Parts: sequence; C-alpha cells; structure tokens
Amino acid sequence: MNRATQGSETHGFLGEEFLTWVWFRWETDGGEFTLSGGRVVGVALDDFLAFAAPSEDETEQTLRRGLPTRAAPARTALRQGQRLKRARLLIAEGSRQWSATLDAPTMTLNGVKLPEDAEECESEQDRTADRTGNWLQLHEIVQALYARFLKERLRPDYLETIAEQQARWMAS
Amino acid sequence: MAAIRRSGGVVAFHWQGKLRDPAHEAFAEALEKRRFRTIENAASEEVSIGWVTPRDPTGDSFALEDLDGGTGTWLRVRIDKKVLPKKWLQIHRDAAEKARGKKLSARERRELKDDLTEKLLPRVLPTINLVDALLFHERRLVMLFSTSKSVVEAFGKLFFESFSLPLERGNPLRCGLLADLSADEKHNLEGAEPVRWTDHVEGGRHPRLRPVQHEPQHAEQFPQQYQDGEQQQEAGA
Repeated sequence: MNRATQGSETHGFLGEEFLTWVWFRWETDGGEFTLSGGRVVGVALDDFLAFAAPSEDETEQTLRRGLPTRAAPARTALRQGQRLKRARLLIAEGSRQWSATLDAPTMTLNGVKLPEDAEECESEQDRTADRTGNWLQLHEIVQALYARFLKERLRPDYLETIAEQQARWMAS
Repeated sequence: MAAIRRSGGVVAFHWQGKLRDPAHEAFAEALEKRRFRTIENAASEEVSIGWVTPRDPTGDSFALEDLDGGTGTWLRVRIDKKVLPKKWLQIHRDAAEKARGKKLSARERRELKDDLTEKLLPRVLPTINLVDALLFHERRLVMLFSTSKSVVEAFGKLFFESFSLPLERGNPLRCGLLADLSADEKHNLEGAEPVRWTDHVEGGRHPRLRPVQHEPQHAEQFPQQYQDGEQQQEAGA
C-alpha cells in the first residue's frame, strides 16, 4: 500500500465517523464546541451532504441545496446506519466565518471560503498575511475538532455511552 | 503582486525531521537549486516543474522577502506542460494512411507520433500552472492549494528533492497521531475498527451498536457477528 494513501485506506472510516459525529453534536448540543485551550467555535452542516456507500456495489447518496440535513433521504440514511463521507461545513469563531467541504476519508478541504479580509488590511501584503492566518486557523480548528472527536471515540466505554446516544439520535 | 487566494481546495502535509529555516538564505538556496526551468523552446521536454516565487514567475530570483506570507512562508510551484494536440496527430496519421492506401501498423503509428513530437513540440506553447502553498515551519505543516492528484504527487516529489524530507499527507490516522492524545489513545487509534450502526429499529427498539472486525464495505448488511445466544435473546426480546 502506498504510504501516502495508507491512513486514508485503513482509517478513512474514522474521518467519516468524525463528520457524522459533528452532525450528531450539532443537532444535539447546538453546534458550539469548546476545543483545546478553551477555544470556542460554532460548527454547522450546510447545503451539501454525501453519504458513504454502504457497500462497494451500492450507490453513494448525495444531497445538495436547501437544508439537506432535514431532508427525508438524509434521515433515512442515518437510520440505515450510513456515515457521512463529505459535507459542507460552516465554521465560525468570533466574527470570522469559514465554509469548506470536508472529504472525510482524506481529511481534504475543498471549496474553502475564508472570512472576509480584515478591514485594517491596506495592502496586498496585509491581505496575504491576514489570509495566511485564516488558512492556518481553519486547519487548526478542523484538527482540534477531530482531536475532540477522537478523545470521545477512543474511550474504552465509547460503545456503551456516546455511541449509544448517537445511535438513538440516528434512529430518531 | 496579488495577495494569496482566499478560496479553493487545500491538502495538508506534514514532515518529520529538520527543515531549513525559511527565514534564512539556505532555504531560498534550496528552492533555487530546484527552480523552474522554461521549456518554451524545448524540443522534447513535455513537462517542467520547479519553484518560482509569487513575485517572479520565471524562477530567476528567490529573494526571501518574496516568500513572506505573514505567519507562513508562501511557496509557489510552476508546472509547465507541452502537449502535442491530438487533432494534429490525427490529421497527420490520416494523411499518411491515405497516401499509403492502408492503415498504419502500431509500430508505424508510434514512429509517426515520435517524428511529429520532435517536429512540432518546439512550436507548441506550454500551458502554465502556478500552484501556491503555505509552509508553517514550527508546525511542520504545508498547505498545498491544489487537490489534483498529479499536482499533489509532483509537489511531494519536488519538496523531497529540495529538502530531502518526505511529506506525509494528512489523513484520519496521521491527523490523529499528530493530535494531543495520550499514548494509550494513539495505540487505540491505530487499531481502531469501524463502528457499525445497525439498522434495527422495528418495534420501537433503539438500534444496537456493535464494533465490527472489517470495513463495512466488506461486511454483511446485517450483524452476523452477533453471538448465537445474543441473537436469540434479541429475537425473543
């Protein structure tokens, strides 16, 4: 197996579980996450969802536009135990807001939109510095969110506790 | 010089080991050694990949201030590609077959293509692709602003050739190993198995969860891994 793709192939499911967990937490806890260092971010799922195909022979289901998380096919997919493979996320911290589509098995961010440039940017150099900071912040927020998920996911009692709560939510 | 982009796709890479400090000349020198070289007039070279700076797309200068991206270092790769237009090839092939009155053999087609490549490639202008990346030295992180497989591979190769450090693309395992997890958690991460969210909600029962031994794609649709006793117990519940 190619080293570059190894983690995606062996642990891609964890990325999908992560994205499904974000949805679960967003709907059940309101989407406010306190990350390491006390950082508070808001995360919501936006207008694009793609569910992982349940098996190699089955079709991947994609929902676009409107409120796909409330659409009947999305709830059905959850009830069938399907995981999210890709989703468009809205991430907010203070007055800044990012949007990006996370490809969960590879943890790649597509279609990113950074927050508006800060008002105090007067030159292209200022704008570059501001955007560089925003690219890094986005990366760090996603990593910290994933770390928070892993803290729950890797608990010895995960299946009896959080996974059971998530199962009830998925079946609701 | 325009500011760095504020939208698009991005792939994160990490490296292990010591990378030259981007604030020092040695870093710029490493880029310069693998600078972009033009293939505008080349007769045979079809692809050229190398470093340039955001200010100078020729690859002729590597001033440290041109790499300044604020908290990160702004890298730029230039990828030029010359491709012989397929329609040209087809026209010449059709003409050759018409003149001979029969189809060309595979070997003759290959020879024709080689001959045309040699003649026409110097006249073909390359397509130019400028790809940016942000390097965060202290975090050992590079964010590449392209998700194209070929660009990702080319970037990794160029980075290795320049700094003798392999880049490791972020993925759920790599990101977890880099996260602030305990040794036990990291051990559990490496051996983690997918959770199977079973689809049994008949009779108002909550679905049951079971870890599975294999990826769900390869697993059966229903929880065959239940012990016989459990299955009977559930069926009777």
